[in-house]
Amino acid sequence: MMKALWLTPLALLALAGCGRPFDIKTPPGMIELEHQTGYAYRAMTPDGVVLAVRAVDSGKADLAFWTQAVALHMKELSGYALLTTTDVTSADGVAGKELRFGHDESGKPYGYVVRVFVADKHLFVVEAGGTKDEVDRARATVDWAMGSLRLR
Amino acid sequence: MAKRTPLQLSAMLGRVLVGLMLASCAGAPMMFKEASSPAMVAPEPPPPPPAPALASSMSGLSFSDSALLAGRVGAELAQLTPGRRPSPAPPHGGAVPGKPAAAPETAVEAPATTQAPAPRRESLLIYTATLVLAVYQVDASLTHIEELARTLGGYLASRTDAAIVVRIPRARFQEALAEVAKVGDVLHREVEAQDVSDQVVDLEARLKNARAVRDRLAQLLQGATATKDALEIEKELARVMGDIEVMEGKLQLFADKIAYSTVTVRFQPLSTSDVHVMARLPFPWLQELGLGPLLQVK
Repeated sequence: MMKALWLTPLALLALAGCGRPFDIKTPPGMIELEHQTGYAYRAMTPDGVVLAVRAVDSGKADLAFWTQAVALHMKELSGYALLTTTDVTSADGVAGKELRFGHDESGKPYGYVVRVFVADKHLFVVEAGGTKDEVDRARATVDWAMGSLRLR
Repeated sequence: MAKRTPLQLSAMLGRVLVGLMLASCAGAPMMFKEASSPAMVAPEPPPPPPAPALASSMSGLSFSDSALLAGRVGAELAQLTPGRRPSPAPPHGGAVPGKPAAAPETAVEAPATTQAPAPRRESLLIYTATLVLAVYQVDASLTHIEELARTLGGYLASRTDAAIVVRIPRARFQEALAEVAKVGDVLHREVEAQDVSDQVVDLEARLKNARAVRDRLAQLLQGATATKDALEIEKELARVMGDIEVMEGKLQLFADKIAYSTVTVRFQPLSTSDVHVMARLPFPWLQELGLGPLLQVK
């Protein structure tokens, strides 16, 4: 009984400190935002480019399934233009896909990047977006941050 | 031309009116029969100049523009220009599938040539395409498509904030579609080829008949002595001229539509009703993907 009482706070501490099933480095030029609902991690640049990571249960689906699901959802239902699809790897060598989208909001072009990974029954969705010009300007920063993602 | 008595004129006018009534129906072969009666195929002098009141509308009849636009179709239309000597229609129609429209004159004078196998007339197709592109860099894309149309020898038909309609020469239709697809992400694509061969052939035949009737009426008008007859013929002539203009307009429209394919490009996401049999995956996070939620920072 006493052992259980000791273990519970330890488990809570573990969840609070290392609760994310991934690691990502916030790059210079971005600030991590705390207490963000819907996202496990969120950071942004001063000019409004936002980077975020979601980690959800992947179920029994693989990378191909989720890549297609995301692409179809964005294209068919949200009307985004799929510009490119490329193979990527996480910092710890997990294969993933990067989908780059374009979309006009109020007549202004925006860029939206999604990377999808499946590892250890988790689906990791890394998103970045902002106005096209700002996303283009922050591309190196965003790529660096996305490349620093470790899945565990 | 010998002067005719009012009785003769009335009889001739009656025949012409019957012919007109038949020409306005789809049963064109009957009209051809009427037109190919001995009185009509006998050597005739060139048609007399029309009455002054009608001269302007008659002189305005030309298919030269559509002939340039429509290539082969235009060539056929050009054969029907009033500048040519009006020829009697063949017994079973002037322009039927499988028989060139130029046959009528030689058909009467040298029947042997009509029995030779004629080259089969190819279908007259109107091509149209509608492409729905994802909404991204719309202004730049619209401008690019407009320039593309001009590069391919086409032109801009209309342009709005989120859509553009361009006309492309038929021969470069596929090339245009391939190029437009490179402009953005194609969400939806519809290509249609409408065969209007029957409609064009029918119109051509009816036009030929109407012109023959017009020429006949003009002859009658010249020979008319009584004012009442002249007025009646002139009234009928005006009506036939109107019909001819309408038919020529329709043929020109066909020629233009055949020569230039219409490509419509719209930039808009598909509405849910357009997404056939596409169930949404039951994952709430998937619905939250996108710039909206991502950029709503609290």
